[in-house]
Amino acid sequence: MTSEALIGLIFLPLLGACAAVLPGRLPTRLGIVAGLLPLPGLLVAVTLSVWQQGPAFLELGGWAAPLGIRLFVDPLAVLMLWMVAIIGGLAAAHAWFDFRPGSPAGQKFWPLWLLLTSAMNALFLSADWFNLYVCLELITLTAIPLIALADSKKAVRAAMRYLLLALLASLLYLLGVALLYNATGTLDLYQMADVLAAAPSAVVVTALALMTLGLLLKGAVFPLHAWLPQAHASAPGPVSTVLSALVVKSAIYLLYRLWLWGAADAVATELALMLLAMLGAAALLYGGVLALLQERLKLVIAYSTVAQLGYLLLILPMASATAWQAGTYQLLSHGLAKAAMFLAAANILHALRSDRLSDLERLDQRQPLSLFALAIAGVSIMGLPPSGGFLAKWLLLEAAWRSGHWWLLAVIVAGSLLAAAYVFRILAAALRRGDPTQAQPVADTQAIPRVQTACALLLALLALAAGFAAAPILAFIDTGLPSAWSGP
Amino acid sequence: MNDALNPSALIYLLTAAAVFGIGLHGLLQSRQILRQLLTINLMGSGIFLLLITLGGGSDGPPDPVPQAMVLTGIVIAVSATGFALALLLRWHELSDSTELDAVADADAVQDAHDE
Amino acid sequence: MRAPDMRVPDMRVPDMIGLGIDAVLALAIVWLALQTVRSRDLFKAMLMFVVFGLLMSLAWARLHAPDLALAEAAIGAGITGALLLVTWRRLQADGHEPADSEHPPLPLWLRLPTAGGASMLVASIGWVALELPATPGTAGELAWQRIDDIGVSNPVTAVLLGFRAYDTLLEMAVVLAAWLGARAVAIELRPGALPGPAYAEVPLVGALLSLVVPISILVAVYLLQAGGNAPGGAFQGGAVLAAGGVLLCLTGRLEAAAQTSGLERVLLVLGLVVFSLAGLLVMASGGAMLALPGLWAIYLVETALLLSIAITLVLLFAAAPGLRRAS
Repeated sequence: MTSEALIGLIFLPLLGACAAVLPGRLPTRLGIVAGLLPLPGLLVAVTLSVWQQGPAFLELGGWAAPLGIRLFVDPLAVLMLWMVAIIGGLAAAHAWFDFRPGSPAGQKFWPLWLLLTSAMNALFLSADWFNLYVCLELITLTAIPLIALADSKKAVRAAMRYLLLALLASLLYLLGVALLYNATGTLDLYQMADVLAAAPSAVVVTALALMTLGLLLKGAVFPLHAWLPQAHASAPGPVSTVLSALVVKSAIYLLYRLWLWGAADAVATELALMLLAMLGAAALLYGGVLALLQERLKLVIAYSTVAQLGYLLLILPMASATAWQAGTYQLLSHGLAKAAMFLAAANILHALRSDRLSDLERLDQRQPLSLFALAIAGVSIMGLPPSGGFLAKWLLLEAAWRSGHWWLLAVIVAGSLLAAAYVFRILAAALRRGDPTQAQPVADTQAIPRVQTACALLLALLALAAGFAAAPILAFIDTGLPSAWSGP
Repeated sequence: MNDALNPSALIYLLTAAAVFGIGLHGLLQSRQILRQLLTINLMGSGIFLLLITLGGGSDGPPDPVPQAMVLTGIVIAVSATGFALALLLRWHELSDSTELDAVADADAVQDAHDE
Repeated sequence: MRAPDMRVPDMRVPDMIGLGIDAVLALAIVWLALQTVRSRDLFKAMLMFVVFGLLMSLAWARLHAPDLALAEAAIGAGITGALLLVTWRRLQADGHEPADSEHPPLPLWLRLPTAGGASMLVASIGWVALELPATPGTAGELAWQRIDDIGVSNPVTAVLLGFRAYDTLLEMAVVLAAWLGARAVAIELRPGALPGPAYAEVPLVGALLSLVVPISILVAVYLLQAGGNAPGGAFQGGAVLAAGGVLLCLTGRLEAAAQTSGLERVLLVLGLVVFSLAGLLVMASGGAMLALPGLWAIYLVETALLLSIAITLVLLFAAAPGLRRAS
């Protein structure tokens, strides 16, 4: 049953995309519904199976690795797949209104969106380094056109820059994979882990460095982050959502797989993990400061992504179960909260026709629900209780304390302060009363479909709920610790 | 992957490294998007050449897995190039230029004027 | 066991002529790469790149990778070259003359060490890698051992459509995504989308087309069916077919259409759909996902892939939603 479910997660959106290419409204609607709606249901089956029987492999074509390609599902993969299903699903519901199936914009949008969904599912399930390269390219070639659909000069420029850098990153990654195959004779992630220690270290270290460099570029980790803010800010609303909450996470996810599963025993691992943590710290601080300086709402949120991704790298040298819980919880809550923020920002932009912070005054009267979603999501980003973000930060602080890396404590606290600053800045701008003599009539705003507002709100509430429903999620996560990590 | 270093393999290895380096140099040299696409393709070709050279065990039949990987890579490269060229044409229509301006390279307080 | 056709001759005694060929080829390839990068004239750079691709094709042949040689010639040099040149033409038609600006992203004193260092890193690591004794039980060895289970004797086809079919399927999705992306950023029909039927009235064109287009179809079909037991395959065949289509576009026999027709849409997704459904059907009837049950299934899937690749590449070239016969 699980095998069919896993295959369904990848192939239903894929075939849905093919349906959406066919002309007319009906095939597109059919493609969207068949490609997205069953995903949560399939995931329930998969989650239960992993919960009861533990992680599992699926050999495609029946060929055992290293001959064939395997899929691997464990709690981390399940978590990411849930995020794709829920965040992607709600973003798709939001997108339904601006990209109506059957309209010219919809005709361009939906096949790409469905292929992107399939590609992300494929990436989170794949256990083969070269297959991951193909998945990365598919994600790149579907996400970037979606950015360019905004059709503004800024969006197209951002898309072009992102494309060139993404292609370069993929080439570096591929070079690394080539060297790894030569050194180990296999492309399977988990098989390679066993033989990596025996392989010659010079080749392995170079390969790992190249792959990491490529993934850092794709994951917009400081100092290779410059492409992200404009790309995420100029994209259409639902696209920004998926980019910040999911696409950029796929690179971080691969970094986890590379260093915590694939190369856990390699020669340079400890050093590499420390270096990555330092880059994460720099990202956290730099992104936070720049977020504070921005004048446009979507840019603040985009720089916030650059910062918050830093948290994900901080856990790497800590090597404890608590650190793993912190990292996965940060993945989850940041995904939900950031998605909520971008959808709310899209609503605000649509309603007010501007997202300059100075134009946001009296937002509580003009777009109360979207502002509410923004605020709740902000609570999670700041790490205030009772949100998921709070739990993630708490676990992070605990893990840092236990591991004795004091500087990490300072960085985490500083990052949270910066987050508080830029979130409050947004809220302050939104609640400002402005000059009463120049009052914008409240009815100046464009109506937003209620579903769109609801999507943003729902995601924000989920980010909050992640703080409450932590126990089962954490218990589930605990069954899938990285091989080398143990202890509290 | 052999005891005596095959001189042919060495030649192609050096070629691969040279082509990769030349491509990288060209990429860092030009802002012209068309040229950047050319140089990225050059770098790709260098990597493909390396992959096959490493995979060519001279005692025994050639390893088909790197060959399949490179074939996939070639197809992906043409797809990416095809899309990139379409995006370039759109950029040209919007900006009347075929370069990415340096202005947007650095982090800055982004100007809010929408073009 | 089936290796004799592909077995390479004993290489322990260096083959002096072969070595000489390799050396000359290598120098030419490097020189062409330099020309591509250093030519001030972008048009010349693109031509150098096309010739580079052709010489790479020779290199693949020398490295005992005939499938790659075919693919590089048809796709890497041929289609990529066509795409680059037609884009150049379109930019020119808009009155734009792309030229390099004066401020490079990285100054020379940084560029040269970076590129030089990268080059030397690749060379030295490659050298180390080459010196390694072969690891036992590599994927390639296993592929040769189990090749009879797939039913073809071309090992690359066995890997592409047998052992690692999933990669090929996703690769087809990448091709589709490229077209979808190109459609997404194109405004609806540019005037002068195609270079124009300037050659439609030239007398010899008709004769040329009546010769070349059927040959391209024939070669494409040949490459498809030969791909099982000899070099060839769906991608190479698809590219050759696309080349025929490109020729029709260039000579004004096909013109841009404002809408993608139903037939074109079906052809675009045919490869992906047939491949996926074949794999799913096998899974539904108790087998493993994507374990294609025999030669006929492989050919069926490859035919669908060939058609999709061909239509996608032609439409990418045409930069139009669709194509129709010129009136």
